[in-house]
Amino acid sequence: MSVTADVEQFIISELSQGRDITTIDPGDNLLAKGIVDSHGVMELVAFLEERYGISVRDEDLTPENFESVARIDEFVARKQDGRG
Amino acid sequence: MLAQAPVTELLDSAAAAHPDRTALVHADERISYAELAERVERAAGALAVAPGDAVGLVLPNGPEFVVAFLAILRAGAVAVPLNPAFKQAEREFHFRESGVAAVVTEEPAGGGAAPAVARDADADAVFQYSSGSTGRPKRVPRTHAQLRAEVDAYVRATGMGPGDVVFCAIPLHHTYGMGCCLLASVHAGSTLVLFDQPSPLVLQRGRALELIERERATVFPAVPYTFRLLADAPEGGDLSSLRLCISAAAKLPRATLRAFEGRFRVPVRELYGCTEAGAVTVDMSARPEPGSVGLPLDGVEVRIVGAEGELLDTGRVGEIHFRGPGMTAGYAGPGDLNRDAFRDGFFASGDRGRLDDEGRLHVTGREKLLIDVRGDKVDPIEVEDVLAVHPKVEQVVVVGVPSDADGEEHVKAVVVPAGECGERELIRYCRERLADYKVPARVEFRDEIPLSAAGKVLRKYLLD
Repeated sequence: MSVTADVEQFIISELSQGRDITTIDPGDNLLAKGIVDSHGVMELVAFLEERYGISVRDEDLTPENFESVARIDEFVARKQDGRG
Repeated sequence: MLAQAPVTELLDSAAAAHPDRTALVHADERISYAELAERVERAAGALAVAPGDAVGLVLPNGPEFVVAFLAILRAGAVAVPLNPAFKQAEREFHFRESGVAAVVTEEPAGGGAAPAVARDADADAVFQYSSGSTGRPKRVPRTHAQLRAEVDAYVRATGMGPGDVVFCAIPLHHTYGMGCCLLASVHAGSTLVLFDQPSPLVLQRGRALELIERERATVFPAVPYTFRLLADAPEGGDLSSLRLCISAAAKLPRATLRAFEGRFRVPVRELYGCTEAGAVTVDMSARPEPGSVGLPLDGVEVRIVGAEGELLDTGRVGEIHFRGPGMTAGYAGPGDLNRDAFRDGFFASGDRGRLDDEGRLHVTGREKLLIDVRGDKVDPIEVEDVLAVHPKVEQVVVVGVPSDADGEEHVKAVVVPAGECGERELIRYCRERLADYKVPARVEFRDEIPLSAAGKVLRKYLLD
């Protein structure tokens, strides 16, 4: 499964319960929609670290890296390439 | 007498004294006191409400909140500010309970400039809600005179003035944001810098640091979680402009205090307050004492009471009781709520603490069961009431436990299921009915709930 599909599935199943969200467009702003809140962002970080074997540092915690599934996909790719 | 003047006069005075001074900063918008007063007058004219009507106010932090809040008071109505994160059922409860005549969800427009409606200083100005281990929030009415007395005393204690720039990253619908940011800033003629609803703050902390630095903020009231996130931020942040950082709403961990002070070289002082009275004490001593929330504000009396209702001596730990001119006269609703909470004119806070030799208050714990989720208070009984009616839940107890992810307290539900029942199903069920901060982060299933011989739930065995 692609990173995009994987992350979408994680967000829908783990972070968006009760919000009536069944699909997420890769460009959807997760922050503006309130899907990734303070608790959600830490769960998402733990998921990315475990699933992709990457290490998310404090300086990686920016809106640019987490505001959409597409941005998260790019962030994971940069980490896996050793560019982030 | 100054302390008896309605809250709306604060803005009139500030606009008359320094019309061109910046009152509000939000994103790229800068609003002078003269402009703010004009917007408030127009908004008050657009509100079709009668004096004494309760008016719901559901807006995030921003100039629209400030204008609408002050306009509601100017129109002689009572503001009922609510958390915009509330779900439908929560909003409906609050609207019904307070009997709102109207709800404001955007800045009122289309009206002509309206003169302020004369209101008695003892007329209600706001209805706020206090979580109190009773399952349902209790309505706390506070009058113009009470709000004015609190903000007078707070501004005097902190020495706030026209040269101050207040950086506000706490919700204005909370008592803390309303008093120590909005009203204090207007009263002092300071500039209020409004940070967008900071969720999730962990992703926005770089921007928060930039804004404090750019605006040369001098006063920063926040909650411990915010100080910790900023202390741990990876880079940036010349916060040398800050002269006063205040932490409230939850106990400030020493590690957070040390990390923030160590990095930014600004002391963090603690304030103690509650929905029933606003700010009660603040530690303004030359060298803040770790663990102290300081001396009572002017006019506030604090005493420590033992289990039998006896007054305890200096140094002994008991329940914190206090009274003062900013305090509500009592909850709206059944008298038994007030009999338990207000005794001999003092509010029995449900918090435990002691007074030291210098009269400073130290908060040591809490008798109520409330859970602190990053500055928001969660009443476990309210969450239990939601889960208890789920068909697959036989018994439920809700407790606060430290999160594995960041050590902050979060909500855990311990459930004895009635048949097959999944964690996600219950979390989803809560999310549909409760604001996100109240939703359990974890559900733990057990065969039984541990009880004492007297049948009392032994919560301490549920905290793992």
